[in-house]
Amino acid sequence: MRKVTKGFAPLVALALVAAACGGDDDAADEPSEPPAEDTADEPTGDTADEPTEDTADEPTEDTADEPTEDTADEPSEDTGGQEPAEEIVTDFGVTEDTIRIGLNADLSGLFAPLVTQITDAQQVFWEIVNDNGGIAGRQVELVIIDNAYDVPTHLENYAEMADESEEGVIFFSQSTGSPHTAATAEDLVDDDLIAIPLSWYSGFADPGIGQNVMELYTNYCIEAMNGIEYLAGENGATTLGIVSFPGEYGQDGAQGAKIAAEALGLEIVYDGEGAVVPGSDQTPVITELVAADPDLVWATLNPTTLAEVLGGAYQQGLRALWSGNSPTWNYQLLATDLGPIADEVFHYSTYTALWGAIDSPGMTEMIEGMRAKRPDAVLSDTYIVGWTEGLATKAVLEQAAANGDMTRAGVVKAFNEVEVDMKGLAPDQSWFGEPNDFIVRESYIYDVVLDEFDAGATVSDDDVGTGHVLEVGPYSGSIAEGYDFQEACFSG
Amino acid sequence: MARLKFDSTEPSHLVGLALLVGGIVFSAYQLATGADIYFTTLLKSLALGSVYALIALGFVLIFKATEVVNFSQGALAMIGALFISFMVADENLPIIGFFWEIPNPIYQLGGPEWIRWGLSVIVALGFAALLGLVIERVTIRPMIGQPLFSVAVITLGLEISLRVLANDAVKISFRSVDAPWGNGGFNIGAGFVNWSYFAAMITAAVAFVAVFFFYRSRMGISMRAVARDQEAAMAQGINIGRVFAIAWGAGAVLAALGGLFATQQPIKQTGAIDQDTSLIAFRALPAVILGGLDSVQGALIGGLMVGTAEIYAGQYLSGYTSVLGSGYPLIVPYVVMIIGLLVKPYGLFGTPEIRRV
Repeated sequence: MRKVTKGFAPLVALALVAAACGGDDDAADEPSEPPAEDTADEPTGDTADEPTEDTADEPTEDTADEPTEDTADEPSEDTGGQEPAEEIVTDFGVTEDTIRIGLNADLSGLFAPLVTQITDAQQVFWEIVNDNGGIAGRQVELVIIDNAYDVPTHLENYAEMADESEEGVIFFSQSTGSPHTAATAEDLVDDDLIAIPLSWYSGFADPGIGQNVMELYTNYCIEAMNGIEYLAGENGATTLGIVSFPGEYGQDGAQGAKIAAEALGLEIVYDGEGAVVPGSDQTPVITELVAADPDLVWATLNPTTLAEVLGGAYQQGLRALWSGNSPTWNYQLLATDLGPIADEVFHYSTYTALWGAIDSPGMTEMIEGMRAKRPDAVLSDTYIVGWTEGLATKAVLEQAAANGDMTRAGVVKAFNEVEVDMKGLAPDQSWFGEPNDFIVRESYIYDVVLDEFDAGATVSDDDVGTGHVLEVGPYSGSIAEGYDFQEACFSG
Repeated sequence: MARLKFDSTEPSHLVGLALLVGGIVFSAYQLATGADIYFTTLLKSLALGSVYALIALGFVLIFKATEVVNFSQGALAMIGALFISFMVADENLPIIGFFWEIPNPIYQLGGPEWIRWGLSVIVALGFAALLGLVIERVTIRPMIGQPLFSVAVITLGLEISLRVLANDAVKISFRSVDAPWGNGGFNIGAGFVNWSYFAAMITAAVAFVAVFFFYRSRMGISMRAVARDQEAAMAQGINIGRVFAIAWGAGAVLAALGGLFATQQPIKQTGAIDQDTSLIAFRALPAVILGGLDSVQGALIGGLMVGTAEIYAGQYLSGYTSVLGSGYPLIVPYVVMIIGLLVKPYGLFGTPEIRRV
């Protein structure tokens, strides 16, 4: 150990704090380790420089072209990606042995804890793809740059990665943030690039807004329709309360809730669309909500604010059923004073299957992959988002490779042809034709069950969960099915 | 003690008087039309004000002794709350566990839950004090005699460094502090009052009484002498370094207590630390400035005024306009601070010299 002298006192002071900070559980530290900036995977397939030490004993060393026993049936099994490189036309971001994929990701900003996990899962996905030969005989190289959830930084990162040379990228498999992605939407079209947003705003399905934005799953608006139709139907609710943030997240969800209320004949007894300002005292919202006494409350908030409003209203006597748009809920709330209340009244609506909650090939692959590559990572449902980002990106690139055209324009063409098999992790999806024909209308609803929650679990633990039991999904109610999508539900 | 004098020729004083009269009339009306909501709002205001007062008192103690505004108070609050959480919820002792694991003996204790919790908090406050002492010794004392701006920037650097470390410990989780009062409370008509409100008020009251008596002790008199004139105090043989250390140790303890209540109602419903916990210091800043940076009673009055303004704005102003909606509580404390400074530019109870700082 390093000798501690008086001169090292500042380090000792920080170490004391760091020690305390790290003292909760080792597993919790795993997912937040920022992925290495640039080159998560080197084209050689040598994994010695992979981001976590846990991979040291993995069967991947110099095995770029040799599927290992452990990974033989994992993501790239069906790639067919061994076509001779010389048969494929390329321009930027693709060489004879490398495909560069960009992640403009929030690794240090507002959503860093979640995005870091999502990014980590996607890294694992590509590590396994590379272990099995990559795509079209090329290794996938991730270019991960932190946007700190800052739009100007996001634009700078975009410009760097959109560079028209081999140093650029062929595809953005993650673009964190709605305003961030919207800020690059026109450039994506100009540059013949596709981006998967970490956002579920209904406007991205509109070609006028997001022609080259490859939104995964359903959107906030339709998710609200499904959640309300299912929960109102199951529980006989006749009155609805809406609490939401202002903006394209909160109000997109609130608009969906209103569409559902009108279709179902629910009376909106409290309309708090845009009324919840994060960080503010929520007493007035709570007071009005409690006075309105709805049977069902639909929330489009963040977990902390949900805790304020839900907990406060429950304490003042409101015994409504609650649900809301993802990411209103965070299962870690079960570890707080809100846990028993959430267990009693909250239902978790989201876009995908959750960890272990559904038995499907994709789920098996993902769990095995995470256990092999990140055995100590804390258990989280968030990995599914990163994994499905990988599945969707891989499908587009394989289509482009099959077309013999891995130029940027060729990838855009492939995006407009491909149908992604999500392997049971989320509804299968395509993006060609009219938006009304291809938007995803299914979502998932889970009951929140405190007994199913294990705060210290890692991905390697069996029979542990994040506190969710599937109620229904993939579910598409009659309102969502019949909804004629022509434009964004909410336009700021 | 600073005195508030009303001057009828001073326009800002007239504004203050008008606000006071308006407040009284408003209170009378609300009391008559909805006494239950009014009383629960009042208790909530006093609780939030008590939390702000605790944080403000930490600012004041450090400022009085060192003439430095400690911008790391928020990070210290969050780390202090983390220490409490580690002591209460973890089987192994914090800090040492980084090198090797030592079981937390208090965690193993039987008996009433609140005794174990109380002991854990006391030990955690000890850790917080130790952290304050280390910070003072390593980063502040070497700067004695150096420009105050440099020292203030050091505290800003500490704020960022400590906050990042603390956030890294919390991640997306919500670290519970397992307070014995939890979500419990009682109803007054349509309003709900949490036991945590009383815990915050009692803690603040104890802290202020302790500081009140401390300033009458030998060391307290030394601190006041240092606050008045450092050079003169040194000439009298007062150990400035010790005064600095005590101020920082006490400041860190008060920050930790503020951090504890920043995880409880009326600030947080979850009873847990999250990534926003360190922001409590910025919310308390209007209280510090309004009361006066060098005034203990100013910290108390400023805290209560700002807490009251915030909660009442949330309860009674929200929804009246579409522009701010329920955002009034976010700006009203700063509006109150601005009005207060117009009346007393150095804070309601601050000394005029602060103006130059």
